[in-house]
Amino acid sequence: MTILRTDRLGLIRNQKWLFQNLNIEIPGGSLVAILGPSGVGKSSLLSCLSGSETPNEGKIEFEINNGEIKNTQSIRPELGIIFQNLRLTEHVTVLENVLYGKIAHYGLKESILGFPKPDQQKAYQILSDLGIGKLAYKWTSQTSGGEQQRTAIARTLFQSPQIILADEPVSNLDTYYAGRVMGLFRNLATIEKKIIFCALHDPQLISRFADFALSLNPEHPEGWNLRKVKPKK
Amino acid sequence: MNSHNEIEKLPSRAWYEQLNLLNVLLLIFLFLTIFSGKNLMDENRPADVISGFKYFVKKFFPPDFSDFSLILESLGETFQIAIVSTFIAVIFSLVIAIGASRNVSPSWLVQTTRMFLNITRTLPSLIWAFLFVIFFGPTPIAGVFALTFYSLGYLGKFFSESFESMDIKVARGLKLIGANPVQAFLYGLWPNVKAQVWSQSLWMLEYNIRSASIIGLVGAGGIGMELNKAMEMASGFQRVTAILICILFIVILLDLLGQGIRRWITQKVNPKSISD
Repeated sequence: MTILRTDRLGLIRNQKWLFQNLNIEIPGGSLVAILGPSGVGKSSLLSCLSGSETPNEGKIEFEINNGEIKNTQSIRPELGIIFQNLRLTEHVTVLENVLYGKIAHYGLKESILGFPKPDQQKAYQILSDLGIGKLAYKWTSQTSGGEQQRTAIARTLFQSPQIILADEPVSNLDTYYAGRVMGLFRNLATIEKKIIFCALHDPQLISRFADFALSLNPEHPEGWNLRKVKPKK
Repeated sequence: MNSHNEIEKLPSRAWYEQLNLLNVLLLIFLFLTIFSGKNLMDENRPADVISGFKYFVKKFFPPDFSDFSLILESLGETFQIAIVSTFIAVIFSLVIAIGASRNVSPSWLVQTTRMFLNITRTLPSLIWAFLFVIFFGPTPIAGVFALTFYSLGYLGKFFSESFESMDIKVARGLKLIGANPVQAFLYGLWPNVKAQVWSQSLWMLEYNIRSASIIGLVGAGGIGMELNKAMEMASGFQRVTAILICILFIVILLDLLGQGIRRWITQKVNPKSISD
């Protein structure tokens, strides 16, 4: 089981602390919702956790199965990220974008001969589960915003990492698919003991799917709060 | 509604606001052309157009294709010069273009590489050829070097502009989930610029085949060298015609072919650009 731990984490943005002294410990199998108004630093916190931004203070560590400690660099292949602006490669097919999820496991062979058939089948299965199987061979640039968001989610599901960091992953989806994606995340946490961070706005989704709610306070950088979400009856 | 049935007067404008500037410009050019033409005619003996034309036809026609195999051979050499120099230039330009792209490289590197690209572009291919003929002597190698340097300036600029228009965040995102730098380029950036790079390279190849046929005039190999030889011979004008017809034929053919291939690439690789 993986454990994510932050130690006195702090980040400055525009000469202002966004958060400070952030100490959290999240055990595997948890779905954490990050909340707070726009601009409060939800994306910045996810950037720190993903290693794309270096915090001004403190550190982040991941304890994996055998007690080995990893940092944001060495955990990379086990880190799945759904970016707010998705960051898909436009001029390749939807299927290829999904296959890029396992890029850390591919090498020169795949870049010349193409991706293995079983992987393609698996990626297609995930796309079908998200209702966009028929788009597999379409150019990503020709699909809609919601379809691209589902493609990005499929990429992370295909990668199947221990930790998923998702920045408003369902913002472009209708209620049906938003619930479906959150349900998939819920299962990954409960069954496969993964850690999932989601920046979310919808209180209904939070109370339905999250284990913890982490809220950041725009007034006080140290006023962050991590609370357990009451299980729904 | 105006209840008094008064006619509203159109507001007047200053005289210079009423001028149609483009028409004025046209008049100025017309005036300049008449003036310059008159000047040029005054200083030189007016050409005897009709006898000149008769002389031209007599000297240049019919085209002399007797050495057709030699013409074909040097056309082949022209092709080879163009292909080799374009390929080398594309490879080097891809690397240089990374250095000249503001979104990936530090500004000192961008400034230096852009300066270099500007300088290579300033010199026409004929001057490059002339310089390299002094280096290597009158050989096709001089031609290859000349066209490579000339193409570097253009391709480096084109490619770096393509790279700059791309969203580098996609490649960075792939790096965050474990891609190495080569994979990040290959899967995050290259698919998006591929069509442009191909299309620009093919344009350069077309251009280089045209250039390769004239740089021979200063001794850098190819069909231009044959052209030069034929011009220097007293009886060679009919061969000049034959060579020119061959060049014309090839260039037109190439133009059509290049256009077709480029359209196919842009449609296949980037279906969105059909509309623009």
